[in-house]
Amino acid sequence: MHTIHSGFAALLLPLSGALVAQDPTAVAAPIDTARFAELQRTLTPDAKAPWRTIPWRIDLLAAQREAAAADKPLFVWAMDGHPLGCT
Amino acid sequence: MLDRASTFAHPKLLELLQTRFVPVAIDQAYERRQKDAKGEFYRRFAGQGPRKDFRGTTQGFYVTTAGGELLLYNNNRHPSKVARLVGDALQRFEGDAEKREPAAPIADGKPDPRWNPGPPDGGFVVRVHTKVLGGYPEPKNDWDRILQSALGRDNLWVTRAEHAALVAGDLPKSLLVRLARFHLVDNTRGEPPMWREDELHALEVGREDERISGTVRLATKDGARTFDAAVLGFVSIEEDRLTRFDLVAEGRFAGEGRYTRGAPPGHFPLAVSFTLADGTDLADAVPPQGSRGWLDGYLK
Repeated sequence: MHTIHSGFAALLLPLSGALVAQDPTAVAAPIDTARFAELQRTLTPDAKAPWRTIPWRIDLLAAQREAAAADKPLFVWAMDGHPLGCT
Repeated sequence: MLDRASTFAHPKLLELLQTRFVPVAIDQAYERRQKDAKGEFYRRFAGQGPRKDFRGTTQGFYVTTAGGELLLYNNNRHPSKVARLVGDALQRFEGDAEKREPAAPIADGKPDPRWNPGPPDGGFVVRVHTKVLGGYPEPKNDWDRILQSALGRDNLWVTRAEHAALVAGDLPKSLLVRLARFHLVDNTRGEPPMWREDELHALEVGREDERISGTVRLATKDGARTFDAAVLGFVSIEEDRLTRFDLVAEGRFAGEGRYTRGAPPGHFPLAVSFTLADGTDLADAVPPQGSRGWLDGYLK
């Protein structure tokens, strides 16, 4: 059964496919407040990482105008997924 | 994340990019498709490189003049090599200074709406970070070490109506579904597959005052990719405005995607954190990965 409970008002959605077998070891343990705080710390990015010392721009044309005014070349880090986000 | 932790940690490259260049970071999946001045400028210089078929990826490192003359294309991330190539490109730029015409600034013009999304008016942005907490085999080299400790990053966009619902004490289903489908993913090794609607098998999450808790189960039909997670979070409201949105999801993930090969074998621990963005990080302005090219579908 697909279930969505939101705001404790349960919404039951119909199955749209066969349920996959669930590995009993894959069941998630509840998170207490101590674990919550620990995870927040673990998942906080390092503000002093070297790549963050580069003054990245994310607007290509604003950067073009800046490069034209300063007579500097543009270095463009162009990825699949945003380099400052998901890549 | 390999680039962030390796290439852009090279001292010479850092010094060059901090002082001698205007450095730009983009998701080229937008620029190569954009039907506007920004897309035209991107295609002008990128089209001089080897990846000139803009129907496919054009990813890599480019050095270009402001006039659109390509000085370097490189898709090798080896730090020393990139630093050397970028230094060589700078020398060519400076060597041509006297014969180069001053570049005209390019106005924004009318932006292509599909590829210039902005966060919803009256909504808010949430920073999302993801980490594999264990399960990898012993790393064989520095690349393995970087990948295995990588932090995935993304943003979650919340609509005005969802913001209002949260302020009113509710927990909107649309927000929970978006959070699960597009953000409970393993993006620590590259662009991840998102979850389809019918892969969301259970989302039993509730709110009591400021506390949000529950469980989520996501699984592909064949069971090759699954995530079972517990959720705990907190919201705070002050003067009809959300001032805190902190949430974590932790559980057992299995599987990988076409661009996220190299996951730990079997089920492995994965955690995702969410925290309200304050706009102080440039990355706060980056659209969610799951919204690329279909913002309406992401926000529905």
